[in-house]
Amino acid sequence: MFAPLALQGRLAVAALVAVLLVLPLVWHDTYVLHLIILSMVFGAFAVAWNFTTGYAGLKTFGHHAFFGIGAYFSALISKNFEITPWLTTPAAGLVAAAAGLVVALPVLRIRSVPHVAMVTLGFAEIVRVLLTVFRETTRGEMGLWGIPAYDGFTIPGLGEVVFNAAEKVPYYYLAAFLFLGSVYAVVRMVKSPVGLALVAIRDSQDAAESLGINLTRYKLLAFATSAFLVGLLGAFYAHYILLLTPSSVLGLDLMILVIGMTLIGGVGTLFGPILGAFVMTIGVEAMRGIGEYRMLIYGALIVAVVMFMPRGLVALLDGLGPRFGFGRGVRMATADDAKTG
Amino acid sequence: MTTSEDILAVEGIGIRFGGLVAVNDVSFTVRRGEVFGLLGPNGAGKTTLFHLIAGALRPTTGRIRFEGRDVTGMRPDQRSRLGIARTFQITQPFAELTVEENVMAAALVRHRSLAEMRHAAGPYVDMVGLAHKRHELAKSLSTGQRKRLELARAMATGPRLLLLDEVTGGVDQASIPGLIDLVDRLRETGVTLILVEHNMRVIMRLSNRMMFLNRGEKLAEGTPEAISSHPDVVNLYLGQPHA
Repeated sequence: MFAPLALQGRLAVAALVAVLLVLPLVWHDTYVLHLIILSMVFGAFAVAWNFTTGYAGLKTFGHHAFFGIGAYFSALISKNFEITPWLTTPAAGLVAAAAGLVVALPVLRIRSVPHVAMVTLGFAEIVRVLLTVFRETTRGEMGLWGIPAYDGFTIPGLGEVVFNAAEKVPYYYLAAFLFLGSVYAVVRMVKSPVGLALVAIRDSQDAAESLGINLTRYKLLAFATSAFLVGLLGAFYAHYILLLTPSSVLGLDLMILVIGMTLIGGVGTLFGPILGAFVMTIGVEAMRGIGEYRMLIYGALIVAVVMFMPRGLVALLDGLGPRFGFGRGVRMATADDAKTG
Repeated sequence: MTTSEDILAVEGIGIRFGGLVAVNDVSFTVRRGEVFGLLGPNGAGKTTLFHLIAGALRPTTGRIRFEGRDVTGMRPDQRSRLGIARTFQITQPFAELTVEENVMAAALVRHRSLAEMRHAAGPYVDMVGLAHKRHELAKSLSTGQRKRLELARAMATGPRLLLLDEVTGGVDQASIPGLIDLVDRLRETGVTLILVEHNMRVIMRLSNRMMFLNRGEKLAEGTPEAISSHPDVVNLYLGQPHA
């Protein structure tokens, strides 16, 4: 798990990144690009959530609060104070991280998984209700519109880059930057002493603490890092979709979607949440023709994976792990974790 | 009375859980380099006393001094960094980590990089005889191997005081002599040991001094010979003088 990837593994990752970066140059369908943008946003969200839940063992069910905080903070500040979203987006990440620290402090005192779940879920509900109630500022469920898009710029030799609803390619590359950056940040942390400490804490807090590991420091670090990434993604989402409602970015269904993606892909694995996000986002859209029945299939898929493939779809890659040197970085078993979770 | 030879001084320690007094006004000292055994029937408060010394529980009354320093209010991780390590009655391995990674986690505090931690963990994995299991997940180990893993992990923190909670508990008879040998070798490193052990033969064989607890209170303290012939110990625990 903590060993660097073998050469074949590095090449496989490089090939996937190359495909991701070349795709919009050869495939111009805006709908497909839109789906991949959403897959990258939710994939990174799932990776960040999995960092706290799968690796640090903090079973939070309120991470959508940070997505909503990031989205609304960046949208409101850029709209009302005419500050470029290029500045409000990273600021939104910092605000979400600060919110993460605020909610983490009481959470750290609780060892019961259901209580942690309820406290974090309750926090997200409070944020959603506040954004709904303060209609004068947020317009509540009427929807906040007029959110500025990212400012365009010129790349010498390539021409002008414009961000608008019709042109997906610039958004695609920005989403890819956030997606790859988020995954890279999480991988670096997981494969560092921080990751070792977090997995130790997850497997036995008492034993980890008896070895001198400061539980509070590592848990706060995990929570704040994850909240920062999710807040950043929420801000991007706001300046991409350009319309926000509390239920769209703070609804429980968003959190269930991310949990579903992670479960289907594989909890506590690096690659699982990404796989789950792409499969679910593209799969659910592909089934749009059958209307609401697709949610039935979505639910059935979650139940089937949990029952028959508790390690998620990533277990299908087990055979590839040793060949590419992924080891437990890809397939770190979490069946026990899921059972005790 | 505390002397400069004492590594640990427990002064009038007590803890109550609601109406239940689990440990009541217990005082003792442990000398540097000795093996100090804790003996008593089930529910005597031995493991609770361990939790108090390691910092997992905060006492209701009394003080704990480690190398002259008051550690009563310190967390377990702070005490570990000062030099107090422990193992658990029911082993607590990091199940999804390998044997080597388990011991590396114990080296986290003293080393900055994973490579340094791996280097530091190696001798302890070898010392407890788990070199052949180095890359296996801890959850695949037998109870005896998990006990060895906990010893390696505790030793990798660089302790001066090591609390061993039933090191032979739950282990098959064939594995017990190997574990006793291992504890003997730990003693040779100079670390001070406090043992909780139900196996009379083991605790008599390993301890320099012992304390007998009953219902949270100290009934006797002395050499293994003195304890095994103490009337209260014979009456409450042994049933007949220990041979």
